[in-house]
Amino acid sequence: MADRERVDVTKLDELTRRDLIKRAGAGVILVYGGLGEKSVAFGAPKYRHKELAGTLRILQWSHFVPAFDRWFDNVYTKAWGRANDTEVIVDHINQADLPGRVAAEAAASRGHDMVATLAPLPQYEDRVINHKEIVQEVTKKRGKMADVAYRSCYNPKTKKYFGFPDNYAPDPVNWRRDYWSEAGFPRGPQTWEAVRRAAPRLRSQNHPIGIGMSNEIDSNMALMAMMMCFGSFIQNREHRVTLNTKKTVEVLSFARDLFRNGMSNEIFAWTAASNNQAFLAGRLALALNAISITRSAELSNRDLADRTMIAPIPAGPNGRLGLEHVMHTYMIWNFAENKRMAAKFLSDMEIKYIGAFENSRFYNFPSFPRSVSNVPTRLARDTNTPRGKYRILDTISKRYTKNVGYPGFANAAIGEIFDTFLIPQMFAEVAQGRRTPEDAARDYHRRLGTIYAKWRRRGKI
Amino acid sequence: MVAVAARDKTRRRRRNPFEGRRFLATVLIAPAVTFIAVLVGGPLLLAIYLSMTDAVGGTLGGDWVGLDNFRAAWEDPNFRRALRNTLLFTIVSQAIVLLCAGLIAHALTKPIRGRWFLRFLIILPWAAPVPLSTIGWLWIYDSLFSVVNWVAKQLHLVDQFNPPQWLGDPTLALAAVISVHAWRIIPFAVVIFLAGLASIPSEVEDAAKVDGAVGLRKFWYVTLPLQLPIATVALLFGIVFTATDMTVVYILTQGGPFNSTQMLTSWAYFVGIRGGSLGEGAAVSLFLLPLLVIVAVLMLRFARKVEVA
Amino acid sequence: MISFREKLTAYLILGPFAIVLAFPFYWMLWTSFKTEQDLYNVENVPFLFGSGSPTAKNYSFLIHETQYLTWVKNTALVGLAVVLITLVLAVPAAYALARLSGRVGQSLGVGIFLTYLVPPTLLFLPLSYVISHFPIGGRAGLQDSLWSLVLVFPSFTVPFSTWLLMGFFKTIPRELEEAARVDGASRLRTIVQIVFPISVPGILTVVIFSFSLVVNDFVYALAFITTSHEKTISTGVFTELIRGDIFFWQALMAATLIPSIPLALLYNVFLDRFIAGFTGGAFR
Repeated sequence: MADRERVDVTKLDELTRRDLIKRAGAGVILVYGGLGEKSVAFGAPKYRHKELAGTLRILQWSHFVPAFDRWFDNVYTKAWGRANDTEVIVDHINQADLPGRVAAEAAASRGHDMVATLAPLPQYEDRVINHKEIVQEVTKKRGKMADVAYRSCYNPKTKKYFGFPDNYAPDPVNWRRDYWSEAGFPRGPQTWEAVRRAAPRLRSQNHPIGIGMSNEIDSNMALMAMMMCFGSFIQNREHRVTLNTKKTVEVLSFARDLFRNGMSNEIFAWTAASNNQAFLAGRLALALNAISITRSAELSNRDLADRTMIAPIPAGPNGRLGLEHVMHTYMIWNFAENKRMAAKFLSDMEIKYIGAFENSRFYNFPSFPRSVSNVPTRLARDTNTPRGKYRILDTISKRYTKNVGYPGFANAAIGEIFDTFLIPQMFAEVAQGRRTPEDAARDYHRRLGTIYAKWRRRGKI
Repeated sequence: MVAVAARDKTRRRRRNPFEGRRFLATVLIAPAVTFIAVLVGGPLLLAIYLSMTDAVGGTLGGDWVGLDNFRAAWEDPNFRRALRNTLLFTIVSQAIVLLCAGLIAHALTKPIRGRWFLRFLIILPWAAPVPLSTIGWLWIYDSLFSVVNWVAKQLHLVDQFNPPQWLGDPTLALAAVISVHAWRIIPFAVVIFLAGLASIPSEVEDAAKVDGAVGLRKFWYVTLPLQLPIATVALLFGIVFTATDMTVVYILTQGGPFNSTQMLTSWAYFVGIRGGSLGEGAAVSLFLLPLLVIVAVLMLRFARKVEVA
Repeated sequence: MISFREKLTAYLILGPFAIVLAFPFYWMLWTSFKTEQDLYNVENVPFLFGSGSPTAKNYSFLIHETQYLTWVKNTALVGLAVVLITLVLAVPAAYALARLSGRVGQSLGVGIFLTYLVPPTLLFLPLSYVISHFPIGGRAGLQDSLWSLVLVFPSFTVPFSTWLLMGFFKTIPRELEEAARVDGASRLRTIVQIVFPISVPGILTVVIFSFSLVVNDFVYALAFITTSHEKTISTGVFTELIRGDIFFWQALMAATLIPSIPLALLYNVFLDRFIAGFTGGAFR
């Protein structure tokens, strides 16, 4: 068997892998069991010019809305492929496991033509093409990119677009209007001050506030957004660490008090799914999450969905500054085989984003706001009760959604801070009384500084 | 006649190269060594090289920075925590494993009714894919739907509203991680012990009986010495399974709460793969290698000495 | 025969351990038959069914709406192939290290073991390069092919098995082999006819453990394979049943049980093979 394979190597160029397997002898076919067949199970697609111009391979997450993947894999990409004489292959893996595979592809300089992750990954800047042309192409047709997206994919230091964010998910507050009414706050979490005052009463009804301080993405997002509302920022416009401020001490003390009076220990144990589950179980009075909470409730518990409202992030002393929940960013590898079609795919998709917007059930907001016309009307058309509750997403996406790293740009240092969970760690240590807010602000300022210095040395900030 | 035939055979054997100890040994060992050298040796050298560069984001190369990555890692409190945890998880879970597996294996040699079924239940954790069975534990330790807490609440042992958080309190989370490690390795050790017990030649057993060695005495003077080489290897693998495993922590706690349950492997993943500081991640993951090597060499030496004695 | 006291002690030890070790599986089984409404209702007694439970829909979802059976099959195929390769490489090496080689062999044996200490956390990156540039399999080498796993997994099953087997070979009395050699058997023949049959427990142990190491892998399968119909259980299940921040708990539990129970049964049957010999008083 080994010998035959070695013979085949000499002719490798003419052989596809499947041919190779066929030739490799009965034993191999036995082991393989015809597994390769599925990829052609859709039948030979008909292309405009009768033959394939190439193949385009995409890797992305398994979308929170399963129907989106079915539409994207079987309808949208197939149609686009036929129109462009390209076979589009879409592979999915779980979002938490994407970074591992992305690193493996970079290490091998082989893999998909492009990969999409739920946050920009500036650390791959040197391994991807400059996505500038795609941005320009879409800008020509649809006007400017949203600031939140621009600041998530552009490195002002190297003047490079290290990714192309096709969409982002706004991160609203989900709150139970029945619980809040009972507690005497029928208008809900308008301000953080209101949250602080309502929290003890809500908790005494066994309905705590649910803002995670755990090693997971939702905690990261919620806490960073809360910081901004209090005027505490990880970095400034010049990308210098600005954590050791009075404002940081203020937000840390606020969060500590909020935890002591209005939450329970569960927030330290959370996974990314926990706030959804606790909310769906009717326990939480408030959670910060994308619309996955209400969408799941509509499927399994309509009654609860009816009583769940979505709202912009509460206003703090520094106003209302929320974060995106997901910044879905495509990267075209510089070793991609089909860079041209990858770029075309992205600009085509972005220019006509309506299908993705609708099929994701308003999870995916276009990075170019004008790529989807009449967003408010579309949101209003959602039939779930209370009618029109998704309309607020338009305001949230336009006015209250900032990038990670605001007021600066998203960069590799912020990425590493995010992925090593330093911000939830800081909040949790203060909330549990292991550190004073002052001590935490000082110490984490130093720790963050080390990470920034590292990436600055590498010339990326 | 007989002597001549024997000499004939000996001569024939000498001509056959497969009768030469050296040659035969080389032929038998070479494939395994070559395979391992190519597949692990090369990548390991590359990983060591990476740990001394400022490589980022999955790129297998960068500027030489010497031991900077190790220094930077050492100065990070989260790294030290991870280092301490790795040692703690490994030692404690293996102590539990040895004790429990020893007891179980010994009891399983008794011809009792239902033994087959009991053995099936005990083996189950080893048969389940770890990533998935850890998900099972994640559900058992869930922050809200934990069955452990449900029972404790019914018995009024814990606060109804704010029960203990198995994955949210540093001490409990350490215990949770250790419990899962021990849980999955106990069956492994049981099987090794059983196999070891089974391969003790019956002559030895009979001799022990004739000498009147029974119970603990027999265990101490007969069973244990014969078991030691295999038990040492079992322990060594237990240590390696725990110290180099990332899956349990990665799925169960992600290193939380507040990075108090990180192990070197998981911390290396978060820093090097997710965070993109590949060089530093490589340094973190290789940090314990020298210690593991020393432990392994000592234990392997020990196993050999016992055998010779 | 053993005394009543001995029996009782055995039960007192095995009973609690069996309960604790198997409890997660009992719980998975229970959970896998629950509806969403039942699972997420804190008022419901978790040990009972309610709100539409029990239901088989989690199983039918797993089998009909995902490629679960394909992943199971893939895992089994990779496991078998790896076990075969492992035996071919490890059995001779282990025997030689245990019996034939001198000091050099001993150090070599230690060396083989030491490769096992390397954590896969980052090793998967260089290996990813190796498999993608493998000289057969087309432009992307073995990337996204089950063969990548067949190639890589022996890198940790072989050191493991070699060492385990060395331990077993060492427990075989040298006298047995010497007797055979005096009778005129060649070295190879001695190995095949005398050593291997006695080592069946060891070899079966290695089969069990190599297979389960393959099933347990997470990092390599994750990094090497993204094509849906080439995935193994763990990665496939994680892709389909953890969607963003939603866990499909019941289906996840079902997915864990389906391979675990038959595998545990199989392992147990293997164990019978040598424990039967043990209780008979002698193992041959």
